[in-house]
Amino acid sequence: MKILVCVKQVPDSGDTLALDERTGWLSYKPLTVFRMNKFDEFALEEALLIKEHYVRTVVHTLSVGPERVGSTIRRALEMGADYGIHILDPSEGYISPFAVASLIAAYARDKGYDLIMTGVMAEDDMACQTGQLIAALLDKPCATSVIKTQIRPEDSTIMVDREIEGGRRLSVRLEIPAVLTIQPGINTPRYPSLSNVMRARIQKQEVMRSEDLPLSETRERCKGVRLPDSTSLGIFIEGSSREKARKLLQALHEKSLLL
Amino acid sequence: MKKDIYLIAESDQGCITPETYELITFAEELSGGRLPTVIILGRNNETQAKELAEKTGCNVLSVTSDHLNLYNTQAYSDAILAILPKDNPSWICLAHTSTGYDLAPRIAVKLNAACITSVEKIQGNILSRALCQGRFMADIIPETPSIVVTVLPGAFPASVSESNSPGSIQMLQASVPHLKSKTLGIKEVEHRDSNLKDAEVIVAAGRGVGKKENVSLINELAAIFPRSAVGASRSVCDSGWLEYSHQIGTTGQTVSPKLYIACGISGAIQHVSGMKKSQNIVAVNSDPNAAIFRVAHYCIVEDLTTFIPIMIDEFKGFSLMRSLF
Repeated sequence: MKILVCVKQVPDSGDTLALDERTGWLSYKPLTVFRMNKFDEFALEEALLIKEHYVRTVVHTLSVGPERVGSTIRRALEMGADYGIHILDPSEGYISPFAVASLIAAYARDKGYDLIMTGVMAEDDMACQTGQLIAALLDKPCATSVIKTQIRPEDSTIMVDREIEGGRRLSVRLEIPAVLTIQPGINTPRYPSLSNVMRARIQKQEVMRSEDLPLSETRERCKGVRLPDSTSLGIFIEGSSREKARKLLQALHEKSLLL
Repeated sequence: MKKDIYLIAESDQGCITPETYELITFAEELSGGRLPTVIILGRNNETQAKELAEKTGCNVLSVTSDHLNLYNTQAYSDAILAILPKDNPSWICLAHTSTGYDLAPRIAVKLNAACITSVEKIQGNILSRALCQGRFMADIIPETPSIVVTVLPGAFPASVSESNSPGSIQMLQASVPHLKSKTLGIKEVEHRDSNLKDAEVIVAAGRGVGKKENVSLINELAAIFPRSAVGASRSVCDSGWLEYSHQIGTTGQTVSPKLYIACGISGAIQHVSGMKKSQNIVAVNSDPNAAIFRVAHYCIVEDLTTFIPIMIDEFKGFSLMRSLF
């Protein structure tokens, strides 16, 4: 099996982000810490579990983004991926899911991956698109929100459960090669082992510049990012912690919510 | 030229979903009141197609086939693409559900269309969607002739038809393509906590709880209310701090208690959609910009690990006071 896991680097917390008038996107302050998108950690872990189960499985990991993204690819290598690919795209502004998926599809097209896996969404842009777009561009079957996988080598298929609304699951069998987007909770992502950390430190990553891959046409643009309209009808209870607690209890009591 | 507007209806166990009626409101805002064409897919859709035509006044295209009985990405996208007119630029609107976000990108690729997901607001051609758990909004302008949109459940009110004339219904048969995936069935998952459904007060834990040991604070706060239960956000369950039976939100349970106290919950829409119908919502979060404060009635900017013990302490004094007078 040859598996590609697509990971995204995201800012660790929204606290250090600001609006950038110039790029119309988010700007990162010097204090911003970047890490792997949590959803992608589950995808990587699932690939590593498959590798442990089926000999001769290799796990490649790929990320699109500027220079700093290399540290997230290294993290994937530390967790146990065999090979890292960095599609270097210097832009710090809005980059559409379609543009990212087009780059990944262009890279993966002739590489013979049996499975392409990624998280169900990214924590920052929450688009829920990249995996499905890669699948459509490569004309592969796709399942989203996957909460269980089971490979059936006897007929080259993979059985998955998709998590759907109301806590139910939809079972789907896909022909391999296939694309899966992974739901959190499917497994427990591992911490890197010391030997993998040592290996990742010296292992070279394949770097490919985005302009060397076929350009996708722009399908939408981001006019700007702003703070949400304040639609709060709520009351911010002010005062010391104790005063706040007292005022809240009083309010709940008046509404007969407290006996 | 005005673009045609299509929307993809969803039904669940024979009933048209509320999100479908919300899509109609979205489509009307998009077009300035012009009614969209509704597409519904399934094995036997007659009742649902009739319900849609009567309740909305929209024209309905009902596409049927055995392999459309359960949702399948390729079967559904092929069937939809087969009935969309080839050269007319159009809007294709879906709900941002496990079906909608699975389907939308595939249709968009086939139509060379922009794909814009989890849209919460529309103004002219500007589609607004949340970033970073609702902390920011991005305004996106599609630049393609056809556009595929998924609309966030709950962002628009469900449409209530004022027209007395039902729309037309056209029944179509889908052809059977070779499918690279097969949908096998739906499983019910057995970890529902009946406590949540019956509770009048729910105290819910979010990632802000910080560690498993702090879950006891949530339990203690819940204990001051009669008929209470403990809820959780998805990430709390994923971290193993509480069982999935406590999970509230899109992939968990939907609740509407008299009182909902969200502790350390950021307010991602996946959680909010499962609790926003609660009659009274209290949010405790150390981040004053947390999205949860936009749905809460009482907002408290505090770290829950210090605030909950104070609140319990005050409650003791409070109930003592009332027992004296």
